[in-house]
Amino acid sequence: MGFESIFVLILVFAVLLAIRVPIAFSIGLATLVTILISVDVLPALTTIAQRMATGLDSFTLLAIPFFILAGQLMNQGGIAKKLIDFAKVLVGTLPGGLAYVNVISAMLFGAISGSAVAAASAIGGIMDPQMKKEGYEPEFGAAVNITSSTTGLLIPPSNVLIVYSLASGGVSIAALFLAGYLPGILVGLGLMLTSGYIAFRKKYKVAERVTLKTALFRFLDAIPSLFLIFIVIGGIIAGVFTATEAAAVAVLYALILSFFYKEINFSKIPTILFDSAKTTAIVMLLIATSVAMSWVLSFENIPQAISEGLLNMVESGVAILLIMNLILLIVGAFIDITPAILIFTPIFLPVAVQLGIDPIHFGIIIVFNLTVGLCTPPVGTVLFVGCSVADVPITKVIKPLIPMFVVMIVSLLLITFVPEISLFLPRLFGY
Amino acid sequence: MSLLIKKLDQALEIIVILIMGALVIDVLWQVFSRFILSNPSSFTDELARFLLIWVSLLGGAYMLGKRLHLSIDLISHKLTVKQSLVIDSIVQIIILLFVISVLIIGGSRLVFITLYLEQTSAALNVPLGYVYSVLPLSGIIMLIYNFHFLLQNFAGLRTSSLLEKTNKD
Repeated sequence: MGFESIFVLILVFAVLLAIRVPIAFSIGLATLVTILISVDVLPALTTIAQRMATGLDSFTLLAIPFFILAGQLMNQGGIAKKLIDFAKVLVGTLPGGLAYVNVISAMLFGAISGSAVAAASAIGGIMDPQMKKEGYEPEFGAAVNITSSTTGLLIPPSNVLIVYSLASGGVSIAALFLAGYLPGILVGLGLMLTSGYIAFRKKYKVAERVTLKTALFRFLDAIPSLFLIFIVIGGIIAGVFTATEAAAVAVLYALILSFFYKEINFSKIPTILFDSAKTTAIVMLLIATSVAMSWVLSFENIPQAISEGLLNMVESGVAILLIMNLILLIVGAFIDITPAILIFTPIFLPVAVQLGIDPIHFGIIIVFNLTVGLCTPPVGTVLFVGCSVADVPITKVIKPLIPMFVVMIVSLLLITFVPEISLFLPRLFGY
Repeated sequence: MSLLIKKLDQALEIIVILIMGALVIDVLWQVFSRFILSNPSSFTDELARFLLIWVSLLGGAYMLGKRLHLSIDLISHKLTVKQSLVIDSIVQIIILLFVISVLIIGGSRLVFITLYLEQTSAALNVPLGYVYSVLPLSGIIMLIYNFHFLLQNFAGLRTSSLLEKTNKD
């Protein structure tokens, strides 16, 4: 029974995706066909409609549009530029300087915004022309920008960790946010070393040395932007705000800063709201149909079937973890990260818990796994944005991306098999 | 038809901007009322959730009209103009199936059932049927966009076969 319906579901989904039906609708239709195997037509239609509506009916999910909006404001409000100037002071004069600057800026941007796409367009929009001017190949610049932007999904605040918290049935968002720091920094360091080494080998230029006075000025200039970290993360961890409220406060703070920097005036606000609403709508429609699919899967007892199957067939825990990693990597290439988390968390989390893996640690594993897919075709939102801001075709970025992928896979194995990297900070704070 | 689409685009744009702005103000008011007024508002949480449903589905309809939903592009560069028009028409019909069955029929049934059972929300006392009415509403908007795309494709197919004919002559 369970396997018959999962076969139908995968088949319908794959065919629809292949002929270019949008992913959100492919998920919805695969769900519909699957539920029709065992439920009458009219109740089935009503149930899916209801699941879609109740799936969106969540105050926690509201953090997503707010972090998208805050990211837009930081992008256009001059905050990204200040972070980049600050990063230049820190690492710009090292060999391979601008590559380091790109990674550090992306990590800093990730630490105040919740979305990797915002980071790729904000940092890439400023760094790509500069790197090109200094003689960096645009493909290389784009590859560095694309991969380093994904660190923002591990470094809190992170929209996708919020989605995991929902899908897992309530793993603490504060604990997940704390858990993301070290893995995010680990990946960032790996990317810095690799891209810096390549830039050094190719003898790319470094940033000009600045006087101590300028350095100090740039540091002070970045402080108001960096202060967002304390408001958002501090507020959430101290239990002052919920993640959604923190995101709304981040919107207000970013808005005030961008008015103060005179980068945004009132006439720009409708456009910024509209752009954020459009991105929100894409993500939310995916969430709505994914919630429906996840419900149908559990209605058909598929998570139990898969978890029993996996645990019976494969003896070793290490092998099961590797299999789950591999499946998630493949899934991540074809589906966007948010629906993938919603659909696969209920399937894999019970297996992970059986193996004695902490749900907080598993959240980091699943999220990082799927971020790799954001940088790969055929569906890679960060790849698309990164290529379009750098104005290079996707086919040309693949080659310089390969060493970065190697770094990401090595980090993935480290993060999977060394739980302390994820759990050290949450434990320190008593989770 | 294209005038209708243009008006529809503009209307959705304004509505979506207003809801997005309202969402920010609503949640900021929630924070403000708790910390500054020490009198937590009772309705903001619920209002925010309902507005999120509305902005997601109406925005989703708008994005369908702009063909901006994420999809996988494996085949399009290998196809002739005619082939891609045919495949896109099939895709539009498949989307139409979902829109009509789940959003319009399923959504309307959900609206009627919740109205019939007189379910209302806890804080605002709004009938839940009104909140859910955005499902059939966005479904109808998507249906209009779908038809628009289908008509465009048929027109495109006709001109491309006319072109082929004249080329042969």
